Amino acid sequence: MFRFLHSSDLHIGKRFGNFPEDLRGRLREARHGALARLALQARSNGATAILLAGDTFDTETPTPQMLHHALQEMRQSADLTWVILPGNHDSLLADELWGRAREILPPNVILALEPRPVTLAANVVLLPAPCTTRRPGRDLTEWMSASATPEGSLRLGLAHGPVLDFSEDGAKGDVIAPNRASLSGLDYLALGDWHGQMSVNERTRYSGAPEPDRFKHDKPGAALLVSIAGPGALPEVTAVSTALFAWQTRPLELLAGDDGITGLEALLPAPDARRQTLLRLNLFGHAGIAIRTALAARTEALAPEFAHFEVQDRDLLTECEATDLDSIDHAGALRLAAEALLAESDDMALSADDRAIAQAALMRLFTYCDKIDA
Amino acid sequence: MKLRALRLYNVKRFAGRGVAIENIGDGVNVLTAANEFGKSTSFEALHALFFQPHSGTPNSVKLLRPYAGGNPLVEADIETADGRFRLTKQFYGGRSARVTELGNNRLIAQADEAEAFIADLTKGGAGGPAGLLWVRQGLTGIEKRTASEEEGDRRVRETLLSSVQGEVEALTGGRRMAEILAACDEALGRLVTPTLRPKTGGPYAQALDERDRLDALEKQLAADVTTLRDALDRRRSATRRLAELEEPEEVAAREQALRAAEEAWQAARSHSETLRAAEADLALAAEQHRAATSALEQFENALERAALVERQAFEATEKLNDAKARQAAAATQSDRLQAEAMAAEAAERQARADKSRLDAAQAARDAAERFDAASEKLAQADIIRTRIETGEAQLATLLVPDKALAQLENHDLELARLRALQSATLPSLRMTYANPADISASLAGQPLAHDTDQSFSGTVDLEIAHIGRLTIRSHHVDDAAQAIAALQDKIATLLEAIGVDSLAAARQRQNLAREKSNALSLDRQLLAQLAPEGIDALRETVTRLNALRGDAIEIKFDPAAISQTLRSAEERLDASRNAARQARPLLELAQQDYLAAHAALARTQAELHALEAILGAVEQRPAKHQQTSGVVQACKERLLAAQTVVAPLRATAQDLAAAELTLKRLRAVAQAADQEIKLNRENLADLNGQIRIQADKAIEEYWQETRDLLASASEAARRYELEVKTLDRLRNALTSARSAARDLYLKPVITELRPLIGLLFDDITVAFNETTLLPETVMRNGQEEEVDRLSGGMREQLSILTRLAFARLLARNGRPAPVILDDALVYSDDDRIERMFEALHSQSRDQQILVFSCRQRAFSRLGGNVLTMSDWTPS
Repeated sequence: MFRFLHSSDLHIGKRFGNFPEDLRGRLREARHGALARLALQARSNGATAILLAGDTFDTETPTPQMLHHALQEMRQSADLTWVILPGNHDSLLADELWGRAREILPPNVILALEPRPVTLAANVVLLPAPCTTRRPGRDLTEWMSASATPEGSLRLGLAHGPVLDFSEDGAKGDVIAPNRASLSGLDYLALGDWHGQMSVNERTRYSGAPEPDRFKHDKPGAALLVSIAGPGALPEVTAVSTALFAWQTRPLELLAGDDGITGLEALLPAPDARRQTLLRLNLFGHAGIAIRTALAARTEALAPEFAHFEVQDRDLLTECEATDLDSIDHAGALRLAAEALLAESDDMALSADDRAIAQAALMRLFTYCDKIDA
Repeated sequence: MKLRALRLYNVKRFAGRGVAIENIGDGVNVLTAANEFGKSTSFEALHALFFQPHSGTPNSVKLLRPYAGGNPLVEADIETADGRFRLTKQFYGGRSARVTELGNNRLIAQADEAEAFIADLTKGGAGGPAGLLWVRQGLTGIEKRTASEEEGDRRVRETLLSSVQGEVEALTGGRRMAEILAACDEALGRLVTPTLRPKTGGPYAQALDERDRLDALEKQLAADVTTLRDALDRRRSATRRLAELEEPEEVAAREQALRAAEEAWQAARSHSETLRAAEADLALAAEQHRAATSALEQFENALERAALVERQAFEATEKLNDAKARQAAAATQSDRLQAEAMAAEAAERQARADKSRLDAAQAARDAAERFDAASEKLAQADIIRTRIETGEAQLATLLVPDKALAQLENHDLELARLRALQSATLPSLRMTYANPADISASLAGQPLAHDTDQSFSGTVDLEIAHIGRLTIRSHHVDDAAQAIAALQDKIATLLEAIGVDSLAAARQRQNLAREKSNALSLDRQLLAQLAPEGIDALRETVTRLNALRGDAIEIKFDPAAISQTLRSAEERLDASRNAARQARPLLELAQQDYLAAHAALARTQAELHALEAILGAVEQRPAKHQQTSGVVQACKERLLAAQTVVAPLRATAQDLAAAELTLKRLRAVAQAADQEIKLNRENLADLNGQIRIQADKAIEEYWQETRDLLASASEAARRYELEVKTLDRLRNALTSARSAARDLYLKPVITELRPLIGLLFDDITVAFNETTLLPETVMRNGQEEEVDRLSGGMREQLSILTRLAFARLLARNGRPAPVILDDALVYSDDDRIERMFEALHSQSRDQQILVFSCRQRAFSRLGGNVLTMSDWTPS
């Protein structure tokens, strides 16, 4: 029985320039903290090794401080073996990074810089496929088939890259063969690159990032606890939570009759989780002006409770009713202007931008009327 | 639309009961009732029916509710082009709105649809005025008002300005429009300049600046990252190259190759040197052989030549001797001819001299003759000239100027005239003696003649002998005497100038001068004849002829013979000269021949000397010939020997150049490798430093961060841009709607209003502002008045006319609407109300007008359909 933790894509050093200053610091710190949380999970679950399948560092040149701190964190858990694999962000081209890392390498950390079998434990051989460049353009795991290992030992693969090529010009062969595990007789292939958790097959998985860094994947950050009874046995895989921050995207559809607020309250996380939550609210459907105004006020009030709160309302159509227009004026030039703007915002002959501007102008007119009549 | 009936229930004071106004007709309808009868309540209920949604409870709805509570119900029957309808609204409990078609009681619409139906009735299309035109003491009923304003509405609106302004504002958005525009402008002004450029220092400009700053930084960092990656790549390749270069096998191979090349080169070089020495020896032998052969050839040629030249020298000597003889003969002949020519020349010279002397003697003889005649003429001419000079001198003293003479004559005549005048005017006396012989009286010392008039002037004494002295005084003023004295002075001056003492003398002088002048003319003519070219020219001629005359020579021989001798001497001279000329070429030829022969001889002798230098003395020549041939033979043998040495060496020659090139190339390779190693090490050091610096800065993280920041900043800038566009769009929409409303309604309304004013007031005209379209001034009887000064009555009348104008405009546009006047004429006197009604009647053909008034008496005789209020309970 061999048990280890499979993780990837820590992206230590990522700076999150698009967030406010204070949140940036917290997010950076959370990435570093992921190391400690991984160690904690490994220890508490009886794993002896932690495999990091690439992109441990966000760039090829992290600050020396950042590198020191990371390796120091690993040195601290001397009972665990750490394996660091170069990914596309910290490929072998980053020789400065790996050169420095070698200089201060703790004894319990293995740098998997060469495609050569590494003995992790008795009868456990690791076959790493480090990324040679940012875009290797070939299947780096191919060598694993030809690499013989002693009879009766576990064969673990460690690689970084896509199994499916989503780019348009992707030629065949520059992605990792999805059936690499069976092709090369691997008991388990630990993959990195995809920030969400994904199971390719029963022996091949992406662990996802332990600490998410974007809204793209909605699942909470986690690592995979992998237990393999012996050569040929199916691995048992469970996800263990490692994330400090939750990145959530929440769609909210507004339909006629919805007041919006009810739906909004229903999808919010518990108040005690909000400080650690980055929430993106995607509004779509239709809403009257009053509801929009009410929603805007509510979200504005909610925002400070969260680490980050943003509202995307590009797909939310504003419904303008006769009574809405009446609140501007029953007749006269104001009414005329409002109707012109309304017509323009629905005029499909105009560009989407122009329609949006007309609608925004109409909303502004409501706001001004409201203020004046208040 | 026309109203046909109005019913209300549970409204205000009608708690638990209702009231109805039925049979509202076309044209003017009048409802007169005392106050507190419910007119205003009816009015408000009607307003709520049309303008308050049944579901809401705003203030104006609350006001409809009776104090006791209840649910107000309002119902109106109307007639439109589509038919007749009943509109019903209930507020508060059981709130509802419904529209039914009259006649068949069909439900047309309810709730929101009914509201929409009603709203459509009251709108003249987007932006138009309300379908009902209310004049409730100046109210439009559309604007929102505060409570205090609501209270204020109970009074008649006080100014015409505000009354018409109400309508203007309803159309142009008025105060709200202005406030919104101001807010819009303020929001825009925070961000942009009036031309929509980002405002310096404003948040928009700051966002743009921040974006640009980050953009530049991002580009810089991207470049740095590229540089870093490039440096990493270069370091990798340098490291790899260095490893290759320093691999021990490579180094040994390089050294081995170099050693082999050096050995090959040494061998090639030593062989090459031996060959070169042999070749030099061979070249020397060949040269010696060539020189010896040449010397022999030269000697033999000289021998041959010497024989030839000796023969030539002999011939040349013979030719020279012959030429010498010929030259001597020619010279002798030439000398003889020369002498003959000189003799002829001397003879000719003598003959020519004789002839000259003969010619000179003849010329002297001629000159002597002409000299005698000219001398005679000159003597005469001198005499005449002396005479002329004397005459001219005399004439000069005699000349009297004609002008002076004429003046003198004039003065003389004038003097005579003056004297006559004087004697005619002087007093006079005459003494007639008793004894004429005894002249016993004297006047001024002069005896006084008998019986003779004696004139006088001034004071004179008349002495009469024996009697005494009689002093006579005349006070006659003698003017003439003074003039006479002046004239006499002038005459005296003139005479003195001429140099005579009287006029007669002057005239005599003039005659003398004329005679003298004539004599002079004669003499001048004579002189001209004797010496036509002047006396000096004549004297010169005499002098010249005197010189020529000389001493006349006597010629003692025959002139003809002398000429003959000259002619023959000339002929002899010509002949001798020609002979000498003919002989000269002969002599020259002989001389040339001589010179040529001499030169030829000298040449041959010189060559003989030269040959002798080569050949030596004649007796030694055979020995010398033999010795030279021997040298040639010896050289030839030595040359053959040298050739046998060179031939084998040449056959085994090696390519030294190739060996050298190979060596050079291998040395260059070794050197280049060393150089490259050194260079790569230096490069590595540089790159290490460079990479370390950038890596320590975590340049890529910094870059990523800046990219994120740039994205945020761009988004912020875009939001501001959008905000500006939004505000600008809103502002444009508002301003264009306002000007459209003005164009669409206000101008036509003013056009409608003008004739109405004419109907009501025949003594005033109203001027409207062209842009605000508000009444500006009122002209009454030619006097301009402030609009504010108008009486309350006139203001309310103008206000009603404005509504009428709107109504006419709506009717013209196919949407007729009733005009409702609720106590609209409180300040107007009865007379004016009458005129007002005439105006209303004249307008009411297709215009429904409802008049609510409490002035029963004033309105009773105005005509129109009289309305009454009756109790009503909803069924």
